[in-house]
Order: sequence, then C-alpha cells, then structure tokens
Amino acid sequence: MNKEQTIEQLKTIVKPYIQNQEAFDVLTEDTDFINDLKINSANLVDVILDIEEKFDIIIDNVSMERMVNVKSAMDIIETKLSEK
Amino acid sequence: MIGNDIVDLVLAKKESNWRRKGFLNKIFTPKEQLLISNGVNPEVMVWNLWSRKEAAYKIYNRETKIRAYIPLQLECYYGNENFGTVSCNGNMYFTQTVITDEFIHSIAVLKKEYLNAIKTLDYNDKISKTNGIPFIIDERTKNIKPVSISHHGRFWEGVTLFNQSINK
Ligand SMILES: CC(C)(COP(=O)(O)OP(=O)(O)OC[C@H]1O[C@@H](n2cnc3c(N)ncnc32)[C@H](O)[C@@H]1OP(=O)(O)O)[C@@H](O)C(=O)NCCC(=O)NCCS
Repeated sequence: MNKEQTIEQLKTIVKPYIQNQEAFDVLTEDTDFINDLKINSANLVDVILDIEEKFDIIIDNVSMERMVNVKSAMDIIETKLSEK
Repeated sequence: MIGNDIVDLVLAKKESNWRRKGFLNKIFTPKEQLLISNGVNPEVMVWNLWSRKEAAYKIYNRETKIRAYIPLQLECYYGNENFGTVSCNGNMYFTQTVITDEFIHSIAVLKKEYLNAIKTLDYNDKISKTNGIPFIIDERTKNIKPVSISHHGRFWEGVTLFNQSINK
C-alpha cells in the first residue's frame, strides 16, 4: 500500500469522528486529530480500534501514545504492516 | 495548577460505545476495569474515571509539556465516588468529581487542600489563551492565573484557584 492509499483509508476512518470539516478538507500529514480535527479524546480510542480492524494490525500501548496526529498514525500503520 | 473535564452523559451515550470490543482495554488498567465491571452503574464509572484522567492530564501536560495519548499511564485510585487520586509517571493529582444525571465533572489539583480553594469561572471572566492553553489575568495584581476549561455537549465549566500562591 502506498502513502496516498494509506492516507485515504485513514481519512475514511476518522471522518465519522471529526468536528471540524474545514480542517478535514485540507488534511495533511501535519493535521492533529484533537487540535485540528477536534476529535474528542474518547473517540480517539475508536479511531485506534478502527485502524486496528481496517488494517488488521495491533496498536500496542507504546504506539498508541503517539497517535495524536496523521503523521504518527501513518508511521505506526506502515511499521505494523511491514512487521506482518 | 488546575485541570478539569466535563462529560455530557447524554452526548457521551451518543458519541461513544464503551462496550465496544477493545475499548476499555485501551484506556483503563485492569484495576480500573474491575471498578467498572463491579460498579452498580458501569457507564457512570466509565465517565467518572475518564473525566478524572482528562482533568489530571491537563495538569500533567502543562507541567511537563509532554503531549501524548496516555490513558493507561494516568492511573486512578478510586477512593470514593467523589474523591480520589490519579497518578502519572510519579506525579500525583487529587481529584474531586460531581455526578448528576446529566453530567460528570472532575477537577484535579496538586494538593488535597487546594480542593477547598476552587473558584468557578463564568462568562464574564476574560479568558486568554497561549498555544490553546487558557489563563486569566488578575485585575488587581496583574498576575497570570492558570485556569482550566472544559466543554462537552450542553455544558461548559471553567475553574481556577483562589489563592495566587497555589496557582504555580
Ligand atoms: C487537551 C485535552 C485534554 C482536551 O480535552 P477535551 O476533552 O478534548 O476537551 P475539553 O473541552 O475538556 O477541553 C478543551 C479545553 O481545554 C483547554 N486546553 C487545551 N489544551 C490544553 C492543555 N494541554 N492543557 C490544559 N488545557 C488545555 C482549552 O482551553 C480547551 O478549550 P477551548 O477549545 O475552548 O480553547 C485532550 O483533548 C487531549 O489532548 N487529550 C490527549 C491526552 C490524553 O491522553 N487524554 C487521555 C487522558 S485519559
């Protein structure tokens, strides 16, 4: 899977939880889940669980700590996929 | 320093399915999960513990500047429905929680006695922000007073501490 595909899938995952459509429309790697997309922090768990399901990976607790923006989410997904 | 977090229970029910597989494991320690499963009202316990963690995180983040999603590192010692502590990497925070049918509101402070010095803000208080972190300027002394604000659904709560010396 290339970067564009990963980011597209990630967008589909976060879409139901975002509360700032404008930030979502211009989403880049630097977009922050909480500060920019205004995803509430309890829903961040859902984002993490959805990523696990969709990519069939397990996000361990240490990785989860970094899951605050698109860039780290992409890093984590790529790393976990490569370990499969 | 102070932190707070409010949960609108009606909105929480709509936004979050805490019974979802894996959900509790990602944010609550085994001990906390026991409190939830043994509680008379598991849902209230979920948001009680969650709001304590979020309130404590706001202090932790301000003091350490560490930004991370660390629900499992913020460990609640329950105490009782209304009072407990949260520890995080060697730091300890005292929490006070108000529970109603409509919302749960937790406040975290650094020392137990500060729980007696909480001042609730209202819409007239002029709140400023640096990097998203809120404070007010004391009109008399011109000192910067840290405040914590939280909003969810129908509710907004802002809090600060009365005494300047304990605002550090
Ligand atoms: C910062 C954070 C605690 C905000 O919580 P929230 O439930 O999304 O939103 P709340 O309404 O309770 O709080 C938002 C207010 O907190 C204030 N705030 C923002 N960042 C803050 C910080 N780092 N420290 C203290 N207060 C902060 C702001 O004033 C904001 O209000 P505003 O949007 O009107 O400016 C949270 O989103 C976050 O970053 N969480 C990740 C950290 C974590 O691990 N959380 C899980 C702990 S269990």
